Amino acid sequence: MTFVPYSSDHVDALQEIVNVAMGRAAAALAGVLGTFVRLSVPRIRIVAAADAGRAVRVLVGEHAKITAVRQSFHSDLAGEALVLFGEDGCTDLADLMGYDDCDEPGMQTELLLDLSNLLVGACLCGVLEQVESGSNVSFSAPSIIAERAYVHALVRPDALSWTHSLVVELNFSLEHRDFSCHLLILMPEEAIERMRALLDRVLAAV
Amino acid sequence: MSYDLFAFIVDRVDVGIFAVDRSMRVILWNRFMEIHSARDADQVLGKNLFECFPELPRRWLEKKIHGVFTLKNFAFTSWEQRPHLFRFKHNRPITGGADFMYQSCTFMPVKYGGDDVEAVCVTLFDATDTGIYRKRLDRAMASLKESVNRDGLTGIFNRRCLESELSKEFDRCRRYGSPLSLILFDLDDFKRINDTHGHLAGDEVLRVIAQRVAKNVRSMDIFGRYGGEEFVVILPATDLDGAEAAAEKLRSIVAATPVTFGEQRLAVSASFGIAEAAPDLTSYEALLDRADSALYLCKSKGRNCVMRPAAAATPAAELAAV
Amino acid sequence: MSLPVLVVDDSAIARKMLIKALPADWDVEVTQAGNGVEALAAYRAGKASVMFLDLTMPEMNGYEVLEAIQREDMNSLVVVVSADIQPLAQQRVKALGAIAFVKKPVSTEQIREVLGQYGVR
Repeated sequence: MTFVPYSSDHVDALQEIVNVAMGRAAAALAGVLGTFVRLSVPRIRIVAAADAGRAVRVLVGEHAKITAVRQSFHSDLAGEALVLFGEDGCTDLADLMGYDDCDEPGMQTELLLDLSNLLVGACLCGVLEQVESGSNVSFSAPSIIAERAYVHALVRPDALSWTHSLVVELNFSLEHRDFSCHLLILMPEEAIERMRALLDRVLAAV
Repeated sequence: MSYDLFAFIVDRVDVGIFAVDRSMRVILWNRFMEIHSARDADQVLGKNLFECFPELPRRWLEKKIHGVFTLKNFAFTSWEQRPHLFRFKHNRPITGGADFMYQSCTFMPVKYGGDDVEAVCVTLFDATDTGIYRKRLDRAMASLKESVNRDGLTGIFNRRCLESELSKEFDRCRRYGSPLSLILFDLDDFKRINDTHGHLAGDEVLRVIAQRVAKNVRSMDIFGRYGGEEFVVILPATDLDGAEAAAEKLRSIVAATPVTFGEQRLAVSASFGIAEAAPDLTSYEALLDRADSALYLCKSKGRNCVMRPAAAATPAAELAAV
Repeated sequence: MSLPVLVVDDSAIARKMLIKALPADWDVEVTQAGNGVEALAAYRAGKASVMFLDLTMPEMNGYEVLEAIQREDMNSLVVVVSADIQPLAQQRVKALGAIAFVKKPVSTEQIREVLGQYGVR
């Protein structure tokens, strides 16, 4: 399936939409952690499956090791979100979330799953609402797909079932703390065209 | 006559479905929940969930549900982090660790047309099967991991594992300057035992000797089978004198009692070579070589003895062959 | 005389949406800036009696623009219009001299309300 790249107007509109959604997610995160959350400027790409691994590495950086949580979403637009946590700062988080009285082994996992769910939920709902597609979104349970693994091991082009995907990359970090994480939203194939149509509507309304 | 299909399905489906309002009062309670909790809907509807079920982890669960009201998003719990919320019995065979039903839950925000979340609907899935299979898989993996490191016949560590451990100990010794010694021993005339009494006898000898030695090394020592009838003991934090004393003890244990095989009583002894990690040794292989040359000295001296490497100043303690 | 209004945002569509939300009965001269550097240049050229300022921009972000303006005497009514709505962000921009913080997407009523308090109608 060939595709036509988005126009600069479409990219600009999507960037702004993601920006607003990201602000929502950051506010939710800040509410839970009680600290200031730094937002990155969102990056948007359309990526071919063969280049997916490299694109992720470029966007996320060749960090030492990451733990990755995945969650799929389904509405007018369907896809998958990945939240990548570095090794640093997870103990900071436990502190901030008041987990210091429980050091059960499952606790850190639960924390990462809860955080991912919070960020993915807020971002996706934020994006979908702005493109007027937000009323019927459902999510799968989040699950860990990699623990302390290298980024390049995460995305294997031969294991992907799509040829092109829209990729949105966001980065959240905490001030005065080591913690940071990347949020990647992938919407393959049909979603690329569907999103273009939704953006057309948004642009027409301005 | 109208018939509400949705209501029927929600009530009878083989999944727990219940809902609470902002005050944590139960506003929906389906058949699955009734059966497993032994509480009918009319016993819990309108009541506070936590008052009805004091076993629930209240603080954590209230926070979770409250989060759905404020963030207006789905939330999830998994049996993998928390085996169960409710203490429901399950009806699967117990293969260990599954005292109650394993549960995974989805918390769904419910809006009645406006923007505010008015209720949270919880779907509770029985994950006991998955939980039990997963435990079996984990046990199998652990056992597989172990077997990769073990010698099939004797059950002690195999060569692969010995080399890996020796390499680590050698590096540690290098880095921190702590002493490290090695014992390399070889069963005397083992070929003759095999030829005269058969391979099964030979196997039995290997097993018995391995057991005897394993019982007589320290917990910090690493003992394994290096080759056909060759064994290694790695002794961390031990110098050559210590290794010699240990080797002498083992030599005596090996030789003292014959090995019984059927009607036979087979006399066994072993030759021991020892070596210590010294600055002139640049690799763990070199350490093994040094112990090997000491072992060779023992063989030439008539076997059933303990020998230091030739370069050592003091003569080795020699014992007459049995 | 037209009121010089500066709209600062790296997103063209966000600028468009904001300009569209300006009250129709206002007499304004609108200048646009795509980042902090352009914003300061326009401010120094007297084009920003009122400034609508985004926070997340590349090169020079909204906080840095506020700091610069504060150092140069704060001759502008700055309304921060941002996606970054966390309470600490709102506190910070007020401390840096912004008169108000408005969440995106902005409505005409919000603009009227905020600037009405400062005698702009």
